[in-house]
Amino acid sequence: MAVLPLQLARVSNALRMNLAQRTITRTQQSLTEVQNELATGKRITVPSDHPADAALAMQLRKTLDQRQAYASAINYGSMHLGAVDSALGDLIDLVRQAQTIASANVGSDVTAEARKAAAAVVESLYSQAINLGNRRFQGTYLFAGDKGAEPPFRPELGGVRFVGSDRTLENRFDESTVLSFMVDANQVFGAMSTRVRGSADLAPGITASTRLADLGGAGGKGVRPGTIQLSNGVTTVAVDLSGADTIGDVIDAINAAGVGSITARVSDDLMGLTLESGAAEDIRVSDIGGGTTAADLGIRMPGGTGAGVDLVGENVHARLTFLTALSSLRGGLDIDRSGLVITNGPQSQAIDFASAVTVEDLLNRINGSGMGVLARINSAGTGIDIINSVQGIAMRIAENGGSTAAQLGVRSFGPQTPLGELNGGAGVRTVSGDDIRITRRDGTSFTVDLTGLATVQDVIDAINAADAGGGVTASFSATDNGIVLTDSTGGAGALGVAAVNFSPAAADLGLDVVASGATLQGRDVNAVEANGLLAHLSKLRDALLTSDQRRITTASEGLESDLSRLTQVRGQVGARIQDMESRLNRLQEQDLATRTLLSSLEDTDYADAITRFQTLQTALQANLQTTGRLLNLSLLDFLG
Amino acid sequence: MSLIGALNVGKSALATHQAAIQVTSNNVANAGNPDYTRQVARVVPKRDYQLRPGMLIGSGVNLESIERQIDAALEDRIRGSISDSEMASSRQLWLGRVESIFHEMGDDDLSSQMNAFFGAWSDLAGKPQDMGLRQIVITRGEALAGTMRDLRAGLDSLQGDVARRMEALVRDANGLARQVADLNRQIVTAEGGAQGLANGLRDQRDAVLKRLSELMDVKVVETSEGVVNVLAGSEPIVLGDTNRGLAFGQETVNGQLVPRVLIASDQAGIQVSSGQIGALFSLRQEIGGTLGQLDDLAGGLIFELNKLHAQGQGLEGLTDITGGIVVDDPAAALNSTAAGLEFAPVNGSFVVHLKQKVTGLTSSTLIQVDLDGLNGDDTTLNALAAALDGIDGLSATVTGGQLRITTDGAGGEFSFSQDSSGVLAALGINVFFTGTGAQDIGVNAAVKARPGLLAAAGNGQVGDNATARTIADLASRPLASLEGISLEEAYERMINQTAVSASGARTSATAAASVRETLLSQREALSGVSLDEEAINLIREQRAFQAAARLIAAVDEMMRTLISLV
Repeated sequence: MAVLPLQLARVSNALRMNLAQRTITRTQQSLTEVQNELATGKRITVPSDHPADAALAMQLRKTLDQRQAYASAINYGSMHLGAVDSALGDLIDLVRQAQTIASANVGSDVTAEARKAAAAVVESLYSQAINLGNRRFQGTYLFAGDKGAEPPFRPELGGVRFVGSDRTLENRFDESTVLSFMVDANQVFGAMSTRVRGSADLAPGITASTRLADLGGAGGKGVRPGTIQLSNGVTTVAVDLSGADTIGDVIDAINAAGVGSITARVSDDLMGLTLESGAAEDIRVSDIGGGTTAADLGIRMPGGTGAGVDLVGENVHARLTFLTALSSLRGGLDIDRSGLVITNGPQSQAIDFASAVTVEDLLNRINGSGMGVLARINSAGTGIDIINSVQGIAMRIAENGGSTAAQLGVRSFGPQTPLGELNGGAGVRTVSGDDIRITRRDGTSFTVDLTGLATVQDVIDAINAADAGGGVTASFSATDNGIVLTDSTGGAGALGVAAVNFSPAAADLGLDVVASGATLQGRDVNAVEANGLLAHLSKLRDALLTSDQRRITTASEGLESDLSRLTQVRGQVGARIQDMESRLNRLQEQDLATRTLLSSLEDTDYADAITRFQTLQTALQANLQTTGRLLNLSLLDFLG
Repeated sequence: MSLIGALNVGKSALATHQAAIQVTSNNVANAGNPDYTRQVARVVPKRDYQLRPGMLIGSGVNLESIERQIDAALEDRIRGSISDSEMASSRQLWLGRVESIFHEMGDDDLSSQMNAFFGAWSDLAGKPQDMGLRQIVITRGEALAGTMRDLRAGLDSLQGDVARRMEALVRDANGLARQVADLNRQIVTAEGGAQGLANGLRDQRDAVLKRLSELMDVKVVETSEGVVNVLAGSEPIVLGDTNRGLAFGQETVNGQLVPRVLIASDQAGIQVSSGQIGALFSLRQEIGGTLGQLDDLAGGLIFELNKLHAQGQGLEGLTDITGGIVVDDPAAALNSTAAGLEFAPVNGSFVVHLKQKVTGLTSSTLIQVDLDGLNGDDTTLNALAAALDGIDGLSATVTGGQLRITTDGAGGEFSFSQDSSGVLAALGINVFFTGTGAQDIGVNAAVKARPGLLAAAGNGQVGDNATARTIADLASRPLASLEGISLEEAYERMINQTAVSASGARTSATAAASVRETLLSQREALSGVSLDEEAINLIREQRAFQAAARLIAAVDEMMRTLISLV
């Protein structure tokens, strides 16, 4: 209510009437506002009622809506993990059952028929395990990762292939928290081979079309966009590289900067940039204002190179991407395109890379070979991995007549393979003293001591040294994976390798085979197996069927490690579910606090409003009564 | 001296008091008229004359003048306060209409719908393949777009109302100016030559000037001839008895129609900064500003969300897609004004993936979008189409400024990823929202028809949710298109600005009304009629008249006595 200042010398009739009218109108206006407040229960109906409070109320409402989204995400994630937990429980029961069967069927008092019957039970456990792996929750496959639209476990090639993904989905549960709400099937099932391949750094070179986002940067922190300062000792120019997308953009920008005759190009070794200049120019490159672009590009040289000296930049660590051209690998040397021979289980396929252009083409060839292997770029972006994604069968990768496998670092068994990795990590067992005796076709023989050797090549060298020109040459197969012995003595006997001193080395090296004529082709003792839960179950079943007690025990040991892994994962899942529940509780508490605050801003304080209403009502009443009394009085009534 | 003299004195008294009573009765008759200025009869004694040497005697009473009780300076201030108070209450009214268009604080206002929309993306991130959740995202997107369009239309229509009201008020002002000119003429005629003021006409003129002040701020200058000249700023509207005329005009500035008030006779523009018309001018700008903010918000939402969506992948790939945006000149660099793109792409690149459905294998190609302005080889629409066309298995053409990409033969589908240039969103390819601003924002019909095309994935896997998550976070991220603030902040600023304006207008209106009422009260105190005062005046004049009549009767008797002596 506004107050009208009254300092009047004279009061006319019209003045009195107007004053009365205005104050009545004002009071009624205020009364209407309070009435509206009381009726709606809202103190703020439009933001202009109380702009500062309204702004805060808007933010609080936004927070409440956001929290609802988080709560919904947490709810769904918690339910999903609950389904995973239940599946894990079922799996644990299943594995325990299998172990019971295994331990019951070891011992000489069990007949082969009993073991066959047990094998049928294990077969059904095996199918159940696959079904559990393909279990769905609200339409999504629990263990498929980010490939949740199709069942992740598929019988293929005599084993079970995992076609899901090891990338799990994440969602936001909080302004600052993004968490995964799925489990990685590899952790549960040991779905893919744990020994991943890819030991070679393929050293991809850069070209003009290499994107800056695909560079690791000279300092390993990527290439952060910014401006660099370029000088030739006379002219200094700031070159803006913040909009550059590729190496080509950087080169164009430097060339267009017009600093003397300084030009940029890709270095000869394709690993970085080179800046060239005229004879008297001293190239100086530095970063401006706390930026790091020049350093990241490997061309930072604030002190200058010296007059007429080119600036050869550092290695910018280009990452391997599916767009990388094969011709730029190994610093521009390309790779041998002969290809690979991939064997997985019973099947084998030779693939060549003659018509492949990019890394993607190469990966597609391997992934499309139908061998159930998964080829992908490794997480460091330096090379490729070839993974056996089928449980229960063994993968072998050999050369296809060239050196592709070695260059890619994916040969499963080669001269450089460390002996300790052979036989599934069991290595090569040696005894003190000589380990093997090699008998030549002409009947002579020699022994070799294999103690303390490191790689397969060392074994080959040791055999050749022990032969000392006797006619046997050891080498490694160019195509199949194995040690090859060639006998040039030309006798009528058989070339052979036998154990000495009861050493198992010959068998461990795969040399305990029958020669064919003058050549003895050793076995591949380094096949890559995906040893997971399903593989162990199928091995147990096969061992029961063939009544092989040793293999039953091995399979049971495998199931033991599966069980402990499952229990651990289940514990982790349980912890995550609890974490989600406590997050939800926290959200609800925060909600309550927010709603209380919102109410204090938006809602009417009834006590205050009613008090105001009564005050105004009294004022209006008084106004009306006094107006009624006074307006009627006039001198004219009293004049005769 | 003689009885004749006394008679004359009596005569003058009769006449004077008769006139005084007339003044009083005039006051009484106009007591309820708010525009009336009280008149006071100035009665003075007549000149003394010499009765005999050494003795002067009075000769009666005279009505010297009838004075208007008015304070010209106060009238000036009143007119100013009327303009200000009308301006403030106009602004309050119209800004209240703006606020009611936004309907903030309700349950289905724009901010709730935005939150619901982004919440739907967050839900989709939990289960990206779920068709039901996808449909919800699309439905909420449509609701959001619809609300934005409605808001835009509401504000547009309000702008139209402002312009129409301005035109009507200018017409009224012109009419009032004409009345002032007429009254000027009448006053000059009435007062011409005579000594005195045409009080009634002057009162009328003052009333018209007050009504004119309600509409616009004017300066009133009275000349010695009794005429008032009315000026707006320094430009005269009424000069003497000539009305130069007020007219409403519109001119195009930067592609927009801007209203102006003009002098009809020479089309010169005048500045109106107060009164209802002044309020409408400032409102026009304010509403225009709010419209601009709404468009910026919609544009930011469209472009930034589309940039994320265009480089994402859906449940199914694309086989035939046409960019929704038309490029004016397909041979011009894509970020040039000749290309005419509302959202301009920048130097960058994107990847096209072509998947063979039978084998499930994908081949990818990097397409560069060179827009660095160097070497004269900036990418044009034609060049982009050629680069895409050169990919084995894809065809790309430009028809009518629109880019169309199709697969060659069946069995293939394509998708995009890693677009650092924003060119896909700029051309309307694989976008979620269509349109360029709040007036035409909508959901892409292709996505509406096939929710499987909604891009939730970011890495090519059908079950991935990276794009859905990034979009869900979009509302609170600072955006370059909005000069570094987020969508939420931009919206809050827009609402806040209007709220603060409206609240300020309300306060100003109350304050200005107070000032106006105080000044009017002061005027009433000076110029208003008090019936009690007039009643007393009446009695006084009546008694004086009675006394004068009695005096005349007495003198008449004395004269008869004299005459009877003869």
